[in-house]
Amino acid sequence: MDWLQLLVFPAVRALILIFVLLTGFAYLTWYERKLLARFQVRYGPNRAGKFGLLQPAADAVKAFFKEEIIPNHVDKPVYLLAPALALVPALIIWAVIPIAKGTPAIADVGIGFLWILAVAGIESYGIILAGWSSNNNYSLLGALRSSAQMVSYELPLGLFLVSILILAGSFSLVELVEGFRPWWEWIWLWLAFPFFFICILAETNRSPFDLPETENELVAGFQTEYGGMKFALFFIAEYVNMISTSAIMATLFFGGWKGPFADQYIWLGPIYLLIKVVILLFLFIWVRASIGRPRYDQLMRFCWQFMLPLSLVYVSVSAVLAVFLK
Amino acid sequence: MPLDVAPVIRSYETQRTLNPPGIPALAPPPEGETEDIRRIAGRFGEDIPAAGLHHGNQVVYAQPGQLKALATFLRDDPQLQYETLIDVTSVDRSELPLDGEARFQTIYQFRSYSRNQHLTVVTDCRSGTEGNGTSPHVDSLTSVYRGAEWPEREVFDLMGIRFDGHPDPRRILMPKNWPNHPLQKQAPLGGEEVPFTFTWDDPEFDTLGTQILAAESVAPDLPPGMSRQNMVINMGPHHPSTHGVLRLVVELDGERVVSIDPDLGFLHSGFEKTGENKRYKDFVYYTDRMDYLSSMSNNLGYCLTVEQMLGLEIPERAQVIRVIMAEMQRIASHLFWLATHVLDVSGTGMSLLMYATRERERILDLFEMACGARLTVSYIRIGGVWQDLPDAFVAELKDFLRLMPQKISEYEAMVTEAPLWQERLKGVGHVSAEDALAMGLTGPMLRGSGVDWDLRRDRPYSGYEEYTFEVPTRDSGDCYGRFTLRLEEMRQSVRILEQAVDNLPSGLYRSNNRKVALPPRAELDVSMEALIHHFKLMTEGFHVEPGFFYHGIESSKGELGFFIYSDGSAKPYRLHVHGPSFNNLYAIDHISRGEMLSDVVTNIGSIDIVLGEVDR
Repeated sequence: MDWLQLLVFPAVRALILIFVLLTGFAYLTWYERKLLARFQVRYGPNRAGKFGLLQPAADAVKAFFKEEIIPNHVDKPVYLLAPALALVPALIIWAVIPIAKGTPAIADVGIGFLWILAVAGIESYGIILAGWSSNNNYSLLGALRSSAQMVSYELPLGLFLVSILILAGSFSLVELVEGFRPWWEWIWLWLAFPFFFICILAETNRSPFDLPETENELVAGFQTEYGGMKFALFFIAEYVNMISTSAIMATLFFGGWKGPFADQYIWLGPIYLLIKVVILLFLFIWVRASIGRPRYDQLMRFCWQFMLPLSLVYVSVSAVLAVFLK
Repeated sequence: MPLDVAPVIRSYETQRTLNPPGIPALAPPPEGETEDIRRIAGRFGEDIPAAGLHHGNQVVYAQPGQLKALATFLRDDPQLQYETLIDVTSVDRSELPLDGEARFQTIYQFRSYSRNQHLTVVTDCRSGTEGNGTSPHVDSLTSVYRGAEWPEREVFDLMGIRFDGHPDPRRILMPKNWPNHPLQKQAPLGGEEVPFTFTWDDPEFDTLGTQILAAESVAPDLPPGMSRQNMVINMGPHHPSTHGVLRLVVELDGERVVSIDPDLGFLHSGFEKTGENKRYKDFVYYTDRMDYLSSMSNNLGYCLTVEQMLGLEIPERAQVIRVIMAEMQRIASHLFWLATHVLDVSGTGMSLLMYATRERERILDLFEMACGARLTVSYIRIGGVWQDLPDAFVAELKDFLRLMPQKISEYEAMVTEAPLWQERLKGVGHVSAEDALAMGLTGPMLRGSGVDWDLRRDRPYSGYEEYTFEVPTRDSGDCYGRFTLRLEEMRQSVRILEQAVDNLPSGLYRSNNRKVALPPRAELDVSMEALIHHFKLMTEGFHVEPGFFYHGIESSKGELGFFIYSDGSAKPYRLHVHGPSFNNLYAIDHISRGEMLSDVVTNIGSIDIVLGEVDR
């Protein structure tokens, strides 16, 4: 029975997870378009199906039937690898997130925090390789920005994660959610949430930190030379990343699957998690509709001169709190 | 490949040979004198062949050898202080009775902001000598007024006049392999005229399809002064934030801009050449297509120029309607600028784009109410406006005016006070007042640098002197200053509109001078004379006294000037448009050097260009 436990169940779970995430991505695009339209006094998609609910399907069909174009001047193997490399980390980061009582999405590996940091670290490769292999000045500039930005914002992001780790005292996300937290720890965590959210925006290349693709100066940044399904993969990666990071934030700051009666009825866990994720996604879209984009150097200055010192202070204070109050 | 197009003879159009014998005629010499002219004549004496007033403008004829000295004197003399060169244009007089005079003349418009004076300088071009080729040439004024660089390039490109000492003598609008200089009179009009005939045998079909220049593949070359050591990127003509088909060759060191070379002309449609082949009243429709975001202002600028050459009185009501339309157009144009500027800078300003276009929509609806068109309106015509305002217009406009100030406050709350927005704009794209004057910038680009000048207040037209409004200025000279300035201008426009709509007089909406303006439709049914006037105006058009005239108005983007040289016939002999976007865009290289690539986009938005007007 061992092989069943070790291989088949996780594989089935992974397939279900990928299916759920891709569906989630499709309807996230619908959700975003509808919400943005409402922010912008428009209607948004309302032609395909009721409330435009079939719009994602129409988009998918369009992406699939687009002609596959590979420009002559690109570095072909890397050019083809890059979209896959962008999408995979966005999916596998889910493995350690608990979705119900005692149930991680795939496996409780005991080093959940490290997993998140490690996968977040390789996320930027897809973008960098895409920009480099495209052999296009705009793509290259986008990739350079992306690498600098993601590497920089990983530092405060990592430090905030470390603070939470210090307070939780365990590497496992499953234990983090199920373990008891005193009230002061919740407040202390929530103080950090806005800053963590800013780091996440930069990490996922979401507006206002979407400098790698800034359509206004870099046309489409690292994706300029991509079209059809290859472009769609980048697109999926960005949106799945949004879902994943929202789930991580919900887990770290808002108790993940926890909610009234979630302990007794285990099936309530995923529903609570979903609600929290949807609310956090609303934040992403709200920010996109209302906040302008900083310039690249301002973004970097903000990271190194404000976010990094702040996160260092936060780590130190968290350590002191953990020693004296726990 | 030379373009070889025979002119199309159309029996239903007025032929040159049908004109009275005195036509065509040269512009008459100027008469009278002013203080400035006495001062100039006192300094240059015999080198000034003629000077005086012409159509109310001060005109000085200068010898080609003295042009540079005259320009320097105009700029540096403490009693003259002509700080800026507004416009350079030229005229090819080969179809006029020359009597051995020089064929080409260049015409310069100088402006003194501090003394509120305008001066036109006319110079004969030296004919070409063997060593220098055969093209005419004249001294370049770029060393005196920096802003002469682009207008002189334009004159060279379109008229073939070389400027000695010009730092960058390339073509600017036409492709570099273009076979002729299109504004020279022997260059064919070109283009595909629609054959107005019922038979396939008509000779008009012979030229169809032969007037297209074969597309030659031109090897890309590096603009002068750029180095391949740096990254050279090509922004445009297909780029999300170049506002149309502007192409910028940007030399980058990392993300810092080393230099920019704008490449214009992708939208060049030869409006000036077309205008020389249209009767005066028929060119109004073309002006719509230049700055298509403020077609009312274009109509107004052109009509005022022609009317002043005719000495035509405009009825009171028409004047006020014109002011209403021009100010509504200013608000509409600024709204669209705001929307696209925010979109360019922040990328996420799509929300504001939607809000601003929602308000602009109200204005376009009002235009539609008045004339049936929304974008290319052609509402303001020579002699007045096309038709009277409908009854419901005033109430609708008042409703809009009640709404607008609070909407402007909403925009301010959304962006002006946002820290990220200020970060992006403050200190970016800085132009000092001296540079703005030297480069000949106009409009918000000038006022944003602290020069207190507005043609509506300082050289009023259309009765602007009767309205109370403020001319906002900003001393900062950066994008943020220009941003807040334009928002304030919208408020002032609302103020003017409120006064205008409250004091809208009754009366004629179009001049009742039947020799120039069409009689109302109803009159045609009862009056033979009206029918004759209608027929004459529709077939022959009206004649304008020989002479030339430059008139500028304050459009939303800056000084929109029209220069017309009339030979006495019913068509302008030379028609030149001074587009504010063209001159303001010249500043892009100056203000973007040393800044980030993102700031280039900010600067383009801040200059507020419309390519239809830049390329004309």
